[in-house]
Amino acid sequence: MAVVKFFPSGKSIQVIEGTTILEAARQAGLIIESPCNCAGICGKCKVKLDSASLKNVVQHNKYHVSVEEAAQGVVLSCETAVAGDISVEIISKQQNKSLKILSHGKSFNFELDSFIKKKYSQNEDITYIFAGEHTRGTENGNTERDNYGMVVDIGTTTLVASLVDISTGTELQSVSALNPQAVHAQDVLSRIKFASEENGLDTMYSSIISEINGMIDELSKTNAVAKSSIYEVIFSGNTCMLHLAANVSPHSLGKYPYTPEVYGGIHLSAAEHKLDISQLGIIYLPPIISAYVGADITSGVLASQLHKKEGKTLFVDIGTNGEMVIGFDGKLSATSTAAGPAFEGMNITHGMRAGKGAVELFNVERDGSITVKTIGDIKPIGICGSGLLDIVGELVAYGVINKNGKFVEPEAEGILPSLRERLVKIEGKTVFMVSDGVYLSQKDVRQVQLAKGAVRAGIEFLLQSKGVKAIEIDNVLIAGSFGYHLRAKSLINIGLLPAEFEGRIDFIGNTSKSGGHAFLLNSSYRGEMESEVKKIDVLELANYKDFDKVFVKCLGF
Amino acid sequence: MPEGKDELFKKLSDSVVYMDESLTVQLSNEVIDKGYDAYEAIEKGLSDGMERAGKLFEEEEYFIPELLMCSDAMYAGLDILKPHIKTKESGEKHRVVIGVVEGDTHDIGKNLVKIMLETSGFDVIDLGRDIPPQKFVETAKEVEAKIIALSTLMTTTMEGMSEVIRILNTLGIRESFKVMVGGGPISQSFADKIGADGYSINAAEAVRLARRLVGGAA
Repeated sequence: MAVVKFFPSGKSIQVIEGTTILEAARQAGLIIESPCNCAGICGKCKVKLDSASLKNVVQHNKYHVSVEEAAQGVVLSCETAVAGDISVEIISKQQNKSLKILSHGKSFNFELDSFIKKKYSQNEDITYIFAGEHTRGTENGNTERDNYGMVVDIGTTTLVASLVDISTGTELQSVSALNPQAVHAQDVLSRIKFASEENGLDTMYSSIISEINGMIDELSKTNAVAKSSIYEVIFSGNTCMLHLAANVSPHSLGKYPYTPEVYGGIHLSAAEHKLDISQLGIIYLPPIISAYVGADITSGVLASQLHKKEGKTLFVDIGTNGEMVIGFDGKLSATSTAAGPAFEGMNITHGMRAGKGAVELFNVERDGSITVKTIGDIKPIGICGSGLLDIVGELVAYGVINKNGKFVEPEAEGILPSLRERLVKIEGKTVFMVSDGVYLSQKDVRQVQLAKGAVRAGIEFLLQSKGVKAIEIDNVLIAGSFGYHLRAKSLINIGLLPAEFEGRIDFIGNTSKSGGHAFLLNSSYRGEMESEVKKIDVLELANYKDFDKVFVKCLGF
Repeated sequence: MPEGKDELFKKLSDSVVYMDESLTVQLSNEVIDKGYDAYEAIEKGLSDGMERAGKLFEEEEYFIPELLMCSDAMYAGLDILKPHIKTKESGEKHRVVIGVVEGDTHDIGKNLVKIMLETSGFDVIDLGRDIPPQKFVETAKEVEAKIIALSTLMTTTMEGMSEVIRILNTLGIRESFKVMVGGGPISQSFADKIGADGYSINAAEAVRLARRLVGGAA
């Protein structure tokens, strides 16, 4: 056995030799961010060892560890096995506590006709609680006025919980948090894998429920609403998130033909899932569209009324998985595409999530003046998704990156001097200096090409399925928290969206939440959307023979 | 003085690198008209061009579209030259069985590796995608392949790769084949973990890896 002592917490734990530092941390109840869940590809689980400790470990791979870092004792915690007593310093560049999370989204006008209703009976001096047609139970006295509900938008990265007064339809407050599952496995696929391993599902399920309970607690306290007066919670999220929150193994989602176990459109008992609300409480899972087009998109369709819209509308949620729905006079087709984690700052040299110090905006004016804005207005420490798209977009627009995605040579003609001076060579390769120590490499541009190519290819196939051209689309709705922080200009510059969409793009925000509100406050939408999703034509892109060709065509700028 | 053979082969190689399909076709016809050796033209012209393209890809000069356009040119030239190869010269090629593992239908990466291996002279048997582990082993045995190449994009299906190796071990034929792995979630450490013979980060490197695994040229 060997003793591993972690700093700054000072916690220590005894482990068998051969255990990785990451495993030791997990056993000690400490969190080292490990987005790729030990696949050895993300390089984000770095820790620092002193020189004595370095002699007591066996390092397998040093992917993403620079020579400079290695000299300082930085190792990958998932690739480093304990061989004797060591001290480990947990270092984390990600400032998750300051993550930008969007909580509002576009909605529409609807009547108040909630699923949960309360009725006071004067004769008996009790209040009946109804869930739809059924009586859920009673409470003593007149509690008619105390009827609250919640919507939890369960994102892969972030959670937004909103407390709603069901009797008036008003939102009291919304709070956000990180999805605690993300520290174990960042993207959907890693999470499916994690949940398929022993105890994995339990870890995923209990951590999300406990985080949601924490949010319930916070909302209840700040708004002086008793938890026992909350009767219904809507879980809006992608298909995998619904599985994990409902304690159902998502295993089958991870393998072709990608079959869900949970289709949504169901009510669960809140007590059974240890949700800290009324004992009579229920959870509603909105219906999903497919394994990779989830209930969050159903909520988005409801919030944007896509299924009732005249004309041609495209709804796109840009993320690790790009989900998109096209509506042609209310007839819908949907698809999803694996954009990969580049938009979350993964696999990008100086990539990071949207936390403090992340470059979130990059703009170049015709006169060559450059604006670099970071979250929190501090010195840039990395680049988040929106910044990344801005940088690449501007460099394409100003000819620093050519149509094929290649950086031009610094001496190339027609380049603004202010951009030219930022094109420098690092280890013999051309990079673009965004700011001191933060740069964009050629490899990073390639990652953006792959991600945007996937989304664009999905859009092309949806357009094709309806036999329409980009120019004919009346309105483009960009949903989701990530999308909200993007600029139409950059989306078009990088060709994630066709240039023809210019002037027709609206950013509609967190419609997973706003659609969830509609589900909570008007029960008729449950039946309506449950039958609507069955009518949606789902395109499985991998089954299209020419997907390769279209994708490759979409890689250029 | 008419254009020399080596000069023509060099031009052929260039036409592939510069993605000029019609020029590749024209030059390939010229090779035949002049009675030059087709096999030599493939090796010193087309394959050489692809190798250079692969190098540019690794240097991040070229990206997937360029690599594919080079291979389009290369295949167009190959169509013309191949019928003229005198069989005894072509020799025995090393066989590679390639495919995407069970549960995964993403095959763009695999297709790229296949092209690069083919253009470097390997005889590639492409099983396609969503392929059960057993199928890789059976086919490799049947065609007497030297290499089994496994690809996946999904974290959730990568275990299928270790299953292939497990089957090979169980059958006691692990030593008969080299197993190489690749794809988005795959890393050298994963390859080491499951006991694969090699991992390559991209299609160009896959060629070098394959060559190393068979101990020299294809």
